[in-house]
Amino acid sequence: MRLDKCLKHAFDMVLHSKLRSWLTIIGIVIGVAAVIAIMSIGAGLQQEINSQLNTLGGDLLTITAGFSRGGGFFGRGDSPPGSFGGSSQATSKSVILGRTDVQTLKGIPDVAVVDTEIRGSVNVSYLGKSGKVSLTGVDQSVWSQVTTTKIKDGRMLDSADQNVVVIGGSLASNYFTQPVGINQMLTIEGSAFRVVGVLDDSSTSIYMPIALAYQIIPDKTLNEYDTLVVKIKDEEQLDASIAMIEGKMRLARHVTNSTQDFSVSSRKEMQATRAATMSSMNAFLLAIAAVSLVVGAVGIANTMFTSVLEKTKEIGIMKAIGARNADILKIFLFNAAFIGLVGGIIGIVFGILLSGFLPALMGGALPFSRGGTFVSLNSILLAIGVSVLVGIAAGSIPAYQASKLKPVDALRYE
Amino acid sequence: MKEVILHLENVWKIYKMGDVEVPALRGVTVEIKKGDFVAIIGASGSGKSTMMNLIGCLDVPSKGSVFLKSYDISRLPESDLAAFRGKTIGFIFQQYNLIPSMSAFDNVLLPLEFLEYDDASAAKRTREILTMVGLADKMHHRPTQLSGGQQQRVSIARSLVANPEIVLADEPTGALDSVTGKEVLELLHRLWKEEGKTIILVTHDMNLAKYARTTIELKDGQIMRVVENHGVKK
Ligand SMILES: Nc1ncnc2c1ncn2[C@@H]1O[C@H](COP(=O)(O)OP(=O)(O)O)[C@@H](O)[C@H]1O
Ligand SMILES: [Mg+2]
Repeated sequence: MRLDKCLKHAFDMVLHSKLRSWLTIIGIVIGVAAVIAIMSIGAGLQQEINSQLNTLGGDLLTITAGFSRGGGFFGRGDSPPGSFGGSSQATSKSVILGRTDVQTLKGIPDVAVVDTEIRGSVNVSYLGKSGKVSLTGVDQSVWSQVTTTKIKDGRMLDSADQNVVVIGGSLASNYFTQPVGINQMLTIEGSAFRVVGVLDDSSTSIYMPIALAYQIIPDKTLNEYDTLVVKIKDEEQLDASIAMIEGKMRLARHVTNSTQDFSVSSRKEMQATRAATMSSMNAFLLAIAAVSLVVGAVGIANTMFTSVLEKTKEIGIMKAIGARNADILKIFLFNAAFIGLVGGIIGIVFGILLSGFLPALMGGALPFSRGGTFVSLNSILLAIGVSVLVGIAAGSIPAYQASKLKPVDALRYE
Repeated sequence: MKEVILHLENVWKIYKMGDVEVPALRGVTVEIKKGDFVAIIGASGSGKSTMMNLIGCLDVPSKGSVFLKSYDISRLPESDLAAFRGKTIGFIFQQYNLIPSMSAFDNVLLPLEFLEYDDASAAKRTREILTMVGLADKMHHRPTQLSGGQQQRVSIARSLVANPEIVLADEPTGALDSVTGKEVLELLHRLWKEEGKTIILVTHDMNLAKYARTTIELKDGQIMRVVENHGVKK
């Protein structure tokens, strides 16, 4: 029998197949959808990792107050570890970053600029719609030097700015009922602010001069900072600069290596850690997806065995009227491949839909949403190829069995 | 003397059921001539179907040889045997054995697909043969949408579509009422007369055996007698 005829008969078999075949197809659909969705996350992660690692921010350090030791991290206001038996005075003493720390940093030759930042959650409203977003108060004279995000519209904050904000791309484009443009007024905690710039990112953050932020964000004390962002002069000397900064700050804050109450982290280091975490998580998820594909393959094999049994009589008839073993083998193999293919195609459609929803489903809990998801043509071709191969592999033994049936025995089968 | 198309030489067929051996054919030797109309008769269990399966190359003998058009069928490789079977032999079964998911047309077309006919001539031939058996208006019906007699006519069309030299019919009327059965038999008879095919009919019904020119009577796996009925004329 010609190949095109074998394909036609195999396809008809899928079309006329019972509910069971469709259930089998669902098995493959789930496996392929999972693989596609997970690969799309992986691709999104990879894009983000690459863009972070290769671009800006390698010369930036973030300093925060608090104890960082082992796995635990105790922020400002929390009692330092080991002090639970101490006096109430010791436990209530806040660990903060203040003006002296800024002075210390500015005195270090390796340090180029220091940006003082405070951060909090605020109510924002625009044209009647409101919500809670993150607000960062920055030292507007240096902020543009320590931010890696570019401006999409308008401008950065300026030293002379009063009552103005720069907002994240997502807040501008789709957070409210209408997009927010340059020079529009946002109401933040009851006060009106003019938007002077929109960032080229997908965040909903708001940035404003720190002096104003102290008035807007509740419970902030003047001249206490949540983070100090430091730009060093020479990225090549990153490790030496970190050591230098930690040394000087310990001296100024009267702490030792073991009682250090602040932490210095480099953007580069954080990114590398995050990249490693993300790729191992990605590998883990892919393994789970692969397992579901294997389960799908077992389903195909099972359906094929049943189908060969069910079609034994027809195989006998076909052999009586001139089918060769090879014809039967081809028809059943193609049938299995079609089941794989149909499952694969439906799976890809579901996978693409799923990959669109996943970031939202996972929320901000994981570092996923930032990079978004990305379904590449390669992953689609790979999924189709894999599902067809899975079908053929799973169908090969039943198909071989079918082809070897003796015509008399097959005809006798009821 | 006409050419011998089929020759069974001391053929034994022994079925093994666990430890028990059932000899279904015991040393059958017979020659069938080209263009003959042969009826194989005998009681149920006498070995008729077993003999039919061997003649049709669906099975191989335990002992002895089957020669079809001077080929020893037990020496042919599987794929040659299948092609040979497709070209040379047409089967008609008691239970019609049509493929339920296919239309009458597709069922009849199937042997030509195995023989790799080109699409146009295969379709033309299929239409011709379905018209000949009187099913021109039922071509696209599924087997379940046809009566028993109509299904058997589809099955006859399928057996003839590749223009085989030999048509094997195993109790073709067994599932039909006597009127429809008679029609089917007359169709076979017409084929024999008009197309010169070799027809081998298995039946336990003596009324049908009278259509045949040669009658082979089986009993307990052996040939009791071979009777020529010269009253049957082409
Ligand atoms: N596949 C088989 N396995 C075991 N015994 C069989 C098989 N086929 C036929 N037989 C036995 O062989 C004998 C002849 O059977 P069969 O050729 O079908 O007779 P008929 O067609 O004349 O009724 C019977 O006793 C039957 O039970
Ligand atoms: Mg029988």
